[in-house]
Amino acid sequence: MRGLSIVAEGAGRYIHWGVIQISQTNLIIIGVMVLLFVLALVVPFPSGHGDHRDEQGRGR
Amino acid sequence: MTTHADETASEATTDTSNWTNWLRTKIVGLVPPGQALPDRQPVYVASWIYVFGVLTLASLVVVIGSGCVLAIGGSAWWHVSSLGHYVNSVHLWSVQLLFGFMVIHLWGKFFMAAWRGERALTWISGVVLFAVSIGTSFTGFLAQTNFDAQWIGGQAKDGLNSVGVGAWFNVLNPGQMLMWHIVLLPLVLVALTAMHVILVRRHGVVPPIDAALEG
Amino acid sequence: MISKWPSGGRRRDNTPDSHDFPTRPYDLVKEFAIALVVVFVLSVGLAAIFSSPDEKPITMSAWANTEPNDVVLTAVGELAGTTTSATYGPPYNSAVEGQKLGPLPLQKWGGVRLPVDSAGLVVEPLSNVSGDPTLTAALSSWNTATPDQRTTWATAYADAIGAPAADGEPATGAGGDPGGVAAGDYGPVPALSAAFLQLARTGGLEGALTSSGNFYGGDTTKSLLLLSDGAYLEDQARAKNLAGDQWGMMNEAGNAPGQPWMWLYTFWYQVPPFSNSDNADALVWGLMMVLTLLLMFVPFIPGLRSIPRWIPLHRLIWRDYYRNAKHS
Repeated sequence: MRGLSIVAEGAGRYIHWGVIQISQTNLIIIGVMVLLFVLALVVPFPSGHGDHRDEQGRGR
Repeated sequence: MTTHADETASEATTDTSNWTNWLRTKIVGLVPPGQALPDRQPVYVASWIYVFGVLTLASLVVVIGSGCVLAIGGSAWWHVSSLGHYVNSVHLWSVQLLFGFMVIHLWGKFFMAAWRGERALTWISGVVLFAVSIGTSFTGFLAQTNFDAQWIGGQAKDGLNSVGVGAWFNVLNPGQMLMWHIVLLPLVLVALTAMHVILVRRHGVVPPIDAALEG
Repeated sequence: MISKWPSGGRRRDNTPDSHDFPTRPYDLVKEFAIALVVVFVLSVGLAAIFSSPDEKPITMSAWANTEPNDVVLTAVGELAGTTTSATYGPPYNSAVEGQKLGPLPLQKWGGVRLPVDSAGLVVEPLSNVSGDPTLTAALSSWNTATPDQRTTWATAYADAIGAPAADGEPATGAGGDPGGVAAGDYGPVPALSAAFLQLARTGGLEGALTSSGNFYGGDTTKSLLLLSDGAYLEDQARAKNLAGDQWGMMNEAGNAPGQPWMWLYTFWYQVPPFSNSDNADALVWGLMMVLTLLLMFVPFIPGLRSIPRWIPLHRLIWRDYYRNAKHS
C-alpha cells in the first residue's frame, strides 16, 4: 500500500539574502512589530493634560 | 503573650511572633497604600508605548484560556475535531500576539531605561519572563503530537543534550513535555508575572530620563 | 516625612520618586478590559483566517512503505552500531564523550540517564514476533554471537548495500539497494533487517518501541531516535525548510507563522565557527546564555545601560512632559 500522504505541505515562501533566509510570514510579523513600535512612539496619546491635574504629588 | 478579652476583632494585634501578623504585614507592605490599583497615574504616563505591557498581560490570559479549552478535549482532540483545531489556532495566534506585544514592551522599556530608580528587579524579572515564555512555547511545540513535534524534538535534543540538560529534560517524551507545558511552566509564568506587576505597582511607573521635580 | 517605602526620596541614580509627580485620573481596570477584548478579537480573528498547521506525524509504516531501503539501511546501521544514536554518547550511551563548552564536558556530565541500546531498537520488536521460524533462527544466531562477530556481519552487510551515487561520488556496493547485494557472510543480518522492514510495513512497529515499557506508551524516545537515524524524517523536514541550516528553528511548515523570536539563536548556527564545529550546539547554547545574562543585567552594565541616552527615543515618548517642564 502506498504510504499515507505525509508531505501535506511543502515549504512556504522564503526570502533569501546572503546567509539570511526568512519566511515571508515571519518577515511580515517582524515588520508589523517594528511598525507598531514606531507608531506607538509618534502617535499622540489622548491624555487630557491640564484638566483634573493634581498639582501635588503623593497621589492617594 | 497576654490576651485581652476586651479587644475587638477589628483591632489587629502587634504580636511580631504571630505568623499571621507577619504574613499580613508583608502582603500589605508589598505596595504603597492605594497603589495596588490606583485610579490616578503620573502625568508623564502619556504614550501609546505604555499599552504594550497590559497587552502582553491580556495575551497571557487568552493563551491560558485557550489552553484550558484545549485541555477539556485532551491532547489529541485538535487532530480529530474541527472545533478543537480552531481552538488550537486561537492558542497559536494568541501566543504570536503574546510574543509580539512582549518584545515591543521590551523595546519600549529598554529605550526608557526603565530599570532606573531601583527598578532593576522589575527589568530582570521581565527578561526572565521572556526566557521562560520561550521555554513554555517550546514545550508546547513538542506536545503537538504531529510531524512538527517529531522534528522539533529530534533537533532540540541535540542542543539540550550537548550541555547535559537533555539527560533530565527529555524532549522526546511528549508526556513529560506536555506536563511541563500545562502545569509546571504556567505556574512559574504566572508567579513571575505577578511578581513583575507587583514590582511595577510598588515602585510606580519610572519617571522620564533626567526628570526633576518642580519646586 | 520619611517614607518607609523604598521609593521614597531620591535614590543613588537621582531618579525621583514617581509618587511625587503630579497625577491625573486613569482607569487601569478599564484599560485591561479593553486590552483583553482587543487580544481576544485578534486571536479568534487571526485563527479563523489563518488557522494552524497540523502535519500528520510520520508513522513507521509510512516510512517503510515510502522508503523501504532507508528503513533497511537504518536497521543495519543500528545492528552495526554506526547510526547517529549508536554513536551519540550521553544521555543514551557512552560511545563518545560528547560536546564540550570549552574545557567543560557538559554532555558527559549529564550522564547516561536515558540508556538506549541501538541494536535493541531492531532486535526487541523482532523478538516479540512469533510464527516465523526464519526470524526465530536469525534472532538465535544474533543473540548467541559475540559482539565482535555481530559488528563484523552488520558492517559487511552495510558496506555491501552501499549507497547510491550522490554529490559527484560514484555509487558504492549495491548502490543502496538491499535486493542487489552480492553474496557474502553477513550472518543473520539480512534476515533480521528484512523481517524488520516487513514488521514496519504492516504497522507492527507503531508503539513497539515505547520507552515506558507498557501498554500506555507516552514516552516515544526510542521510536524518535530510530526515526531520526534514518534519512526520511530529515528529508521531509528539509522539504519544508525546517532543517537547521535553513534557519529551521524559526520556521513552520507552509506559510504558517513560526518562532520569529528564535532568530538570534538560530543565526549562530549559520555562520562560522559554529557552522562547522563539532561542538556547535554547546557553543551556541553557551553564547546565548551569556547574551541572555547581559540582557538581564543591563541595569548594571556600563555602556549598555547608557544606550537609551545615545539613542534618545525617550524624547519622543515623553515629549509632552519635556515640553511642559521646559516652559514651567
